[in-house]
Amino acid sequence: MGNEAIARGLIEAGCSVATGYPGTPSSEIMESLAKWKKELGHRAYLEWSINEKVAFEVAYGASLAGARSAVTMKMVGLNVASDAYLSATYLGVRGGMVLIVADDPGPHSSQTEQDSRFFAWLAKAPAFDPSTPVEALEMIKRAYEISERYEIPVMLRPCLRVCHSRQNVTLSEPNQIADLGPFKKNWPRWAAIPKFRLALHGELNKKLQKMSIEEADCSPHLIHEGKSNKLAIITSGSVASHVLDTVREEDQFRDLKIFKLSMPFPANRAALQAIVDGHERTLVIEETYPVIELQVDDKRKLAGRLSGLVPSQGELTPEVVEDLILQAMGEPIRVRPEVQINARRPSLCAGCPHRPSFFMLRKVFDKGIYPGDIGCYTLGINMGAVDTCLCMGASIGMASGLTHAPDGNESPAVVATIGDSTFFHAGIPALINAVHTKTSFTLILMDNSLTAMTGGQPTPASMNLVDGSAANPVDIENLIRACGVGFIEVVDPYDYDSLKGSFERSYDYSVKKSLGVSVIITRRPCIRAKGIVLSTDRYEVLENCERCMTCVRDLECPAISFVKESKKVVIDPDSCSGCGFCVNVCPCGAIVKKVL
Amino acid sequence: MSQIVLCGRGGQGVVFLTRLIGDIATSKGLNVISAETHGMAVRGGSINSCVKIGDYQSSLVRWGKADFLISLDEKETQNNRHFLRDNGVILENSVKEPQEGILRIDATGMARNLGMVQLENVVTLGFASMITGFPLSPKEIKEGLMLDKRENVRDMNVKALELGMDAASPGKS
Repeated sequence: MGNEAIARGLIEAGCSVATGYPGTPSSEIMESLAKWKKELGHRAYLEWSINEKVAFEVAYGASLAGARSAVTMKMVGLNVASDAYLSATYLGVRGGMVLIVADDPGPHSSQTEQDSRFFAWLAKAPAFDPSTPVEALEMIKRAYEISERYEIPVMLRPCLRVCHSRQNVTLSEPNQIADLGPFKKNWPRWAAIPKFRLALHGELNKKLQKMSIEEADCSPHLIHEGKSNKLAIITSGSVASHVLDTVREEDQFRDLKIFKLSMPFPANRAALQAIVDGHERTLVIEETYPVIELQVDDKRKLAGRLSGLVPSQGELTPEVVEDLILQAMGEPIRVRPEVQINARRPSLCAGCPHRPSFFMLRKVFDKGIYPGDIGCYTLGINMGAVDTCLCMGASIGMASGLTHAPDGNESPAVVATIGDSTFFHAGIPALINAVHTKTSFTLILMDNSLTAMTGGQPTPASMNLVDGSAANPVDIENLIRACGVGFIEVVDPYDYDSLKGSFERSYDYSVKKSLGVSVIITRRPCIRAKGIVLSTDRYEVLENCERCMTCVRDLECPAISFVKESKKVVIDPDSCSGCGFCVNVCPCGAIVKKVL
Repeated sequence: MSQIVLCGRGGQGVVFLTRLIGDIATSKGLNVISAETHGMAVRGGSINSCVKIGDYQSSLVRWGKADFLISLDEKETQNNRHFLRDNGVILENSVKEPQEGILRIDATGMARNLGMVQLENVVTLGFASMITGFPLSPKEIKEGLMLDKRENVRDMNVKALELGMDAASPGKS
């Protein structure tokens, strides 16, 4: 897998400190590092950090201490880490530092389609853009060379199609751990005041200028040599692979030339211009923003996003690429069959401990407003229990805002839902803010003991670190108490009566009496967590079912469905995981445990 | 050179099959590149993945280019049919009768009889491996499954594979 190849590149380059925060499509990089560390007995220090900003700072500190370091995240994670990143490019690094940011054109599993290469431009730092897993591995090594030569953090920006593609990769021997010697005090650089920052900014500009001219990665290189000068394509990243395969497969494209840019920022502008000048037309195909295109000075013979040809949103899949090339050649696009995709919506797993929390939330806080958050539990939208989803930790900040309705409007019941990992990531400041401002709402902290959506990574409350060694677990209840919250209850979401009791007391505290934030921790491990043994109990619907649909509609369990032909509600024993919560939900008492 | 699209629901083992095919082709010394679905969609949503064997750089199959579509869920077949080339073959897990261009097997039923419905993916692969032109032979797949160090998993997978193979040639069993 591309993410494994990236991890292997880090190990082979002698990286000794790697940090990150999980997020699709980047999560497997750290997990693979943990695997290589174990298999090779490598000495690298690895951590899943509390969030991307902290992860960046830890990796940056390690670089100043002489280590080759790396930090991994998905693109929206860079928004969180951007404060550190934009300053670090001015100050520079000592040991090589690689920032790995996985983009998700599509988007398939993200809030935005932002192009992290644009962030590199904003930060004035170089960005590599690999096309395949094999290339990603090699680019990691180049990135460390560039990082140390110019004393600058270097970005590797793999897209989803690199991260989650698998390819056969040739491995090399891991390098010894790099060490540039201990930290040397130099406050005008590492703690620069504005006067020195101006000088550092000047140096940064010079570095970029020099790099764009002297480093081969900044100039486009020919990857397909056609005979014609009619049309050239300049491309980079995973979409470059689609371009190459498509051109090779279609005879009518054989004569085109394809140029690829390994490092789209900072590009060698003169080299770009020479390609544009040497062809009747040049098509730029890149994801997802016009980074290369904007660095072409004379755009008159250019086709791309700025000319309106290339779509400004959505993934550039191979068939989109094919049509773009045809259009740039002035040929008619392919006649394709009309495709109607009825994609199945994702749903919380059968037996997911979040489902009872959402069910009870709807029952007790009827007609409330439900700000939600980022994780598996965003899927609470299927149950009508998530009304908003903005970014990591936003449920709590937004809950405060939603509570402060203008005068004259009755304050609604506001119930925020957040997972344990997301709470640690960005929820804590928002909770303290709400307590301090005497804001009154309910917060349901759905604690499944791990970061479920991305594959079950540990949180700061976990007993173990990413490499399996013992952690110092942080106690969530104590943390919430220390934030000043006056109402905390912990409940097992599978326990219907206790769950109902907790939710009702919270309603009384925060909605009826407006006494402040109440926090209910609904605690039960994710059913996909390692070592979880699921119940073998199975349930059935008896004849006294009145087809009220409470279980099908309100519980929305994927194991329960209404069969139109027989007009019966049925529980699929293959999908059921035996949690038994549906028994309590049925108003007719028609769901019972099967006698096997 | 061979291009395969696999589809199904999250949790059915589409990613497992994708990796298995990739690993076996790699061990044969072939170049392989494949694309997988992860994240939100895996929670029971629609899943598809691509495997390209040969001299390819891109992990995605272009519409109209797949030689085979392996579908673990008949409702997903329609969502992915456009990937198939003219005269491409669909191999579908379904209780329905086969029809032109669509070969079918009740892999879910057979896996349930085996005591583990999750094996429907391997049953379907066993069925596919018997089709003329499929890039991996039953023997190669069996050898790939035998590499699993967990004895019970290995045995169940091989049983499932054989069930699928036998279903493709009823006279043989």
